[in-house]
Amino acid sequence: MTDVLLDGCLALCLPLLAWLVLRTESLSQAVVLFVAFGLLSALGWARLDAPDIALVEAAVGTGLTGALLMHTLSWTEETPPDVRARARRRPWALLATAALTLLLGWAVLALPADSPGLGPEVEARREDSGVKHPVTAVLLNFRGYDTLLEIAVLLVAALGARAVNPRSERASSDAAKDPLTGELFRMMTPALLLVAGYLVWVGDHGPGGAFQAGAILAGGGVVAILTSRMGTPRMSSLRVRWALLTGPLLFIGVGVAPLLSGRRLLELPEKLAGTLIFIVEMALTVTIAMVLLMFFPGTRPSRAGRGGER
Amino acid sequence: MHELRTGLACFLLLNILAGMVRVIRGPTLTDRFIVAQLFGTTGVGVLVLLAADAGRDALRDVALVFALLAPVTVVAFVRFAVGNEANGASAASDEEPRP
Repeated sequence: MTDVLLDGCLALCLPLLAWLVLRTESLSQAVVLFVAFGLLSALGWARLDAPDIALVEAAVGTGLTGALLMHTLSWTEETPPDVRARARRRPWALLATAALTLLLGWAVLALPADSPGLGPEVEARREDSGVKHPVTAVLLNFRGYDTLLEIAVLLVAALGARAVNPRSERASSDAAKDPLTGELFRMMTPALLLVAGYLVWVGDHGPGGAFQAGAILAGGGVVAILTSRMGTPRMSSLRVRWALLTGPLLFIGVGVAPLLSGRRLLELPEKLAGTLIFIVEMALTVTIAMVLLMFFPGTRPSRAGRGGER
Repeated sequence: MHELRTGLACFLLLNILAGMVRVIRGPTLTDRFIVAQLFGTTGVGVLVLLAADAGRDALRDVALVFALLAPVTVVAFVRFAVGNEANGASAASDEEPRP
């Protein structure tokens, strides 16, 4: 009974919040509502028995994206589009969306209810993958190719973000005088490092992995950037370049090495697979954290000066 | 025990539903943001309750991640609101300028 009530509550809140995000008059409101929406959708994933997705939603979807959107607000004065006026002007778009929704709903309902999909095959070969968690086994061993290309896409995205906004800032010394953020930063950093390491380790036998850990690490970096404790990362810096490249280079190395001993690309040796996956995930964590940090544009110049005087 | 825990989770979720009133009516952006943060705290509570069921241990990690990243959003919000006030804009209180 209570289970139904819980799911019903979530099913009521989620579309309501989604609609509120769309119809607000200001972008800042939309961002605040989006953060609330992300939280509830993570709860939804948790109820659907998909803790892996709930974890990514918590780390990347809500935690970091919320901060990124909030921070980007200071760079924009745009007002959001009036969705209701748009819908009135283009009723056919509304009809098309409704049709698509119905089609998707029908597709979901038409799925065979008790088809196990590829689950049993993954389960049967999991012993060979070197890790105990099926999701990690698929992501870094069975379908390692996809993850490798995904990292390449992330690198391109970081380059794109820097191309749009090549400005970078240096750390400022008066940041250390701010007692509140200073204390927060001191308390947060060890916890963030610990949890990031934990998430990589736990990926071996449960939901976790490089993406979530990278988002946690980036969270610490974001606080440092926002409080001017750290400058925004510069592409010209050799350290930044290395941080961006360690993950992909190591992954490519691990992927190509089997070719030398007559195996196929990315075919990890069974005995070493667990260790290799752990090392690659560690390196990927650093890369992903750096890529996510590259998206933070620093404080807007005209406001930075006056904001600091206060 | 499971019934009690889901019941409590339900109660927390109803609290979120009640908080929606503040989110919709505002009036200021700060009100909305604080409610969103309260949703975060409540959501962590719900996740911890759900994690007590057998085989759902991973949800505790989700709660941990939420709790850790919440201050990051707060810092970003405060920077945004302070920057706006210093700029003379009243975007932090986007509907009713505060005295």
